[in-house]
Amino acid sequence: MNTNIKNGDFGKRLKTMLKVDARRMFTMPTVWIMLAVSLALPILILVMTSFIGGTTVNPQTGAEETVETFTNVWQAIGSAGGAMSMDLTSMCNINLLYFLVAIFVCLFVGEDFRSGYVKNLFTVRSKKLDYILSKTIVLFVAATGMFVLYFIGAMIGGGIAGLSFDLAAVGASAGGIIACMISKVFFALVFVSIALTLATVGKQRLWLSILGSLAAGMLLFTMIPMMTPLNSGAFNVALCVLGGPLFAAGLGAVSNVILNKTSLV
Amino acid sequence: MNAIEIRNLTKTFGEKRAVDGLNMTVPQGAIYGFIGENGSGKSTTEKLICGLIQPSGGEIKLWGKDYRDQGVRSQIGVLIESPGCFPNTTVWNNMKLQAANLGLKNENEEIRRVLHLVRMDGAAGNKFKNCSLGMKQRIGIAFALLGNPTLLVLDEPINGLDADGMRIMREILTDLSRRGTTVLISSHILGELEKIATHYAIIRGGRLLKEMTAAELNANCPTYVAVRVDGTERVRTILERAFGRADIDEQTGEIRVYNANAEDVSKYLFGNCGIAVSEIRTAKISLEEYYIDLMREEK
Repeated sequence: MNTNIKNGDFGKRLKTMLKVDARRMFTMPTVWIMLAVSLALPILILVMTSFIGGTTVNPQTGAEETVETFTNVWQAIGSAGGAMSMDLTSMCNINLLYFLVAIFVCLFVGEDFRSGYVKNLFTVRSKKLDYILSKTIVLFVAATGMFVLYFIGAMIGGGIAGLSFDLAAVGASAGGIIACMISKVFFALVFVSIALTLATVGKQRLWLSILGSLAAGMLLFTMIPMMTPLNSGAFNVALCVLGGPLFAAGLGAVSNVILNKTSLV
Repeated sequence: MNAIEIRNLTKTFGEKRAVDGLNMTVPQGAIYGFIGENGSGKSTTEKLICGLIQPSGGEIKLWGKDYRDQGVRSQIGVLIESPGCFPNTTVWNNMKLQAANLGLKNENEEIRRVLHLVRMDGAAGNKFKNCSLGMKQRIGIAFALLGNPTLLVLDEPINGLDADGMRIMREILTDLSRRGTTVLISSHILGELEKIATHYAIIRGGRLLKEMTAAELNANCPTYVAVRVDGTERVRTILERAFGRADIDEQTGEIRVYNANAEDVSKYLFGNCGIAVSEIRTAKISLEEYYIDLMREEK
């Protein structure tokens, strides 16, 4: 067979696997839908919530109630100090994207099993680690794209809704915002690897991996603002840039064992 | 050198033994017909060979090396159950993925070659989900042929093919075998298998019942004279007395006379007994009949 895949040639094996995954990603509509949602979601949230902000009268009790909505565009990216409150700005910001990333990972990996493509893949590949590594890399790249688009969408949505762009008003700085985004992107590796592991467990049972990933996401949701506050510093960046890949490596090893020990079809 | 050697292979699913101490040897260049009832362990064995499920015990060697060896694994083309294509993607893009997976250098040329081989040149632009069952099966074969593998593992590849498709498949497999490719093929369409297989294995309950070459099968399948007459049972007794073994085929109503030739039987019936024969021909026990008889004996 005229093939590049040989024993022990890790670099070439990974390269071919990455080529497969990159091709898969960009010839299928799911990634484009996810990227479009990432861009549109903040625009919709910021524009829609700008209509409901302020005080309203509860029709049942007649009491005046205050609905806290976005006043500053940076609230869509995070909160300074990492505090998580149960208001709209904390629940409907960029951190929602982690759930979208987890669902995307489950769809992307689950499709390999549901279509039976794993038969073609693993018949010619005995090293499951190539698969895990390649999937982690391409899904991390896609997640990065989703975060960048959400950021752009938040800027557009903030502009349309007429929100303030004042950094000082939310206790942030330009450097802090950049550090916050870098931290958030690398923290996505945690969600990618959890969803990837659950997808290798669930295999054809997509519902199982999606439900599992969402449940795991709920557990981690309160941790995200603390790890990636709006005024992130070097410590947050270091924690996420080192911790994300380490966590992914650990769970990747678990996924590798799962694929090696269980039936693939 | 043998392409596949299986020793004491076992696979259990809970309490059920899908493959139970299976021993099998597939010589290089053989078209190895793998036969058995539904649930006999054919597909499980093929999945084990391809590394898609893990054995509970035993040994699988491909060209003398462990089946997990990356070097030998990249020599296998596979079609098990379905082609494993993404339904919303075009045939061409699906094949590009597999070409990348195989690390092929001349992807486009190779895809065109295999699509042409299975007469599916015109289907490259179709979404896989829009292809008919027969088309999907042919595309599955094209997938398996990508990169010119040395071993083909095909699970029921003839299912869903029309007569022309079956003929094309026969031609492709025979040609590949001539060029040294080993083909492990399971099928329930024994008539088709008989036309191409050089070796056979019959399994039941995950155990090997028989392993033989086409020549050995031939020796095990005697020729007979099939006679169609009125008063079948009476004539059978006459023929049995004259020629030894004579049976009635319940399905066709013919009398089968073994150890005789058509001319002798005809002369004897007409000349000696005055019995008019409406039809007489020489035939051979087919693989299907052999298989059914073997299954009956084993029960």
